[in-house]
Amino acid sequence: MPSDGPVDRRLHPASILLGIDLRQTIQALIFPLVAGFAAGGRAILVILAVFGAVALVGRTLAWQRFTFGFDGEVLRVEEGVLSRSHRALDVARVQQVEIDRGAVARLFGLAALRVETAGSSSEVEVELRVIPLADAEALRDELRRGKAQAVGGEGESDHEVGAPERQPVLEVPLRHVVVASVTGARLLVFPAIVGVGLQFVGETFWAPFADRAEDLIEGLVVGRTGLPGIGWQVVLLGIVATLVAAVVTAVVVGVLRDAGFRIERVGDDLNVTRGLLSSRSSVVPLRRVQKVEVHRNWLRRLLGFAAVRVHSAGGSGDADRRVTVPLLPERTIDELLAEVLPGVAGIPALTAHPPAALRRTMFRWLRQAVLIGASAIIAWRYAPFGVPDVVPWLAGALVPLFAVLAVVEYRQLGHGLTARVVAARTGALSVVTSLAPVVKVQAASTRANPLQRRLGLIIVVAHVAGPGGDVVIADTGTERGRWLLERLTEHAAEPVVPEVRPRMLVVGEPPSPGDDG
Amino acid sequence: MQVWRVFGALWQVPLLAVASVTAVLVLGRAGWLVVALSMALLVTLLVWYPGARFRRWRWWLSDLALLLERGVLVRQRSAVPYFRIQQIDVVQGPIDRLLGLATLQVTTASASGTVGLPGIANADAPTIRAELLWRAAQAVAAHPGELSDAV
Repeated sequence: MPSDGPVDRRLHPASILLGIDLRQTIQALIFPLVAGFAAGGRAILVILAVFGAVALVGRTLAWQRFTFGFDGEVLRVEEGVLSRSHRALDVARVQQVEIDRGAVARLFGLAALRVETAGSSSEVEVELRVIPLADAEALRDELRRGKAQAVGGEGESDHEVGAPERQPVLEVPLRHVVVASVTGARLLVFPAIVGVGLQFVGETFWAPFADRAEDLIEGLVVGRTGLPGIGWQVVLLGIVATLVAAVVTAVVVGVLRDAGFRIERVGDDLNVTRGLLSSRSSVVPLRRVQKVEVHRNWLRRLLGFAAVRVHSAGGSGDADRRVTVPLLPERTIDELLAEVLPGVAGIPALTAHPPAALRRTMFRWLRQAVLIGASAIIAWRYAPFGVPDVVPWLAGALVPLFAVLAVVEYRQLGHGLTARVVAARTGALSVVTSLAPVVKVQAASTRANPLQRRLGLIIVVAHVAGPGGDVVIADTGTERGRWLLERLTEHAAEPVVPEVRPRMLVVGEPPSPGDDG
Repeated sequence: MQVWRVFGALWQVPLLAVASVTAVLVLGRAGWLVVALSMALLVTLLVWYPGARFRRWRWWLSDLALLLERGVLVRQRSAVPYFRIQQIDVVQGPIDRLLGLATLQVTTASASGTVGLPGIANADAPTIRAELLWRAAQAVAAHPGELSDAV
């Protein structure tokens, strides 16, 4: 470790206010507030004033005692009022750097800088909140340069120590962001809820509701009594209104989060920028990409789109901080993958699984159908409230539907292994293709339960670091599974790291020891 | 193996006892069938299962990786390459200590890739750990520069 550099830089004074952790504040406030309400009106004001004063003093002290410094190799942070903590972060260990700008911070030209390393703690390693935007960007670039030097000093890629060029990789147009929010998973659940709700309202509350509606209308407009359609129209209107509201909310949330989504290559890093009001810009070193997932739910498959999620081993698995390309046309997936996974031309050719796997998917889906059906019938027979007669029939109708889904899932099952990447595809409605560079595979394992053994099937797991999870190859043939385990073990033990080449250079697959697939 | 038997007993006996009592209470006469079944199950789990599990549990060191094979019903095989080993812990529970045994826990950077080697004699644990650490160091040394960073 090099000698101690200066640790004398401060956060922006605005961090006294902007650095407040909302959740902590609420937690701290809840008890005094409840007590205050119990004590009466005046007490609340006093308590709030005291709390505010204490908090202000505390925040000021915290700001005064928070210093950081970066000497080109080690990022040091010293903080804490009562219990001091000193942290030193080696630049070569950095997994991800993010610049996060809330709407308020943007107004004042400020930003929060977040640095993550590998580690399973859910906390962010270092968070500088807030510093002037220019400083944040400067520090990010310094970190990048420091890392390039740290890596280059050990024998490779010393060709870009100066200012690295920026190359656009991908831009997601606004209409794609909108399509993404409309076809998103959150919204796909919605028709189901509405369907169930419709069923419920229609069958259970329909009669009394209609009566009441009729009574109401009777009272209001005499002469239009007994019109049976009114209740239905009200219900339908309500449902349409909720749907529209849900779509609008989803679009607004999606646009706020992902508008202006852009990926750039800067040196050996991916630079991801997004957000309308509060913007966020993450830097993911290409060498730190642990896993990439291509998500395609049925609606997006119909439209020919997919979402791509990039996982680094950064500590926090927070959904909001993952790098997810909201939507891109299917034909450009391979292009993006080639960019994100060095040396990988795209999704490799996937091997289908043996027909016996169909029996497993069928078994799993039908088990679910039977469970749902059984509970529906039990509810119908024994529930104290009236369950409409149609429910058991609906549950019965699930059986053929789920059987079809089982076939779909079997069709989608697939896996592939090249000298560079291991890939697995699963899912029926929402198909996910996971890819992990073989140099990032930490360990491998297989498992098979008695049923799988009888069918000659086996599950292969490639264990990967980080919150992104593992690559699971479900139900492949036993022989093939054993072979995959051996290959994965060899790859993990003898990694051949592909060089991160400048863009647009087709990288051939160099021969690697022990690769025969 | 003894440890497994004792541990198994610790949670299986109360579970089956509860099952039996509720069965008798709810089902009356037929409940005794459940009692008999759960007793049979208990005997199997106590007498046969730990032995079977012990016989199926094996681990060995290959050129590249620590290999494990285990499982009576669900058979598992794992491979942890030395190069990827991040940390090795020696863990001893109270019963382990009574019997002079220890478990080696081998951790990789992947949260799910951690494996445990149970039932290692106290005296052997440090030796095996040293051996694994040495192999890990060798593996890392064999990969120069940037390659030596496993994550």
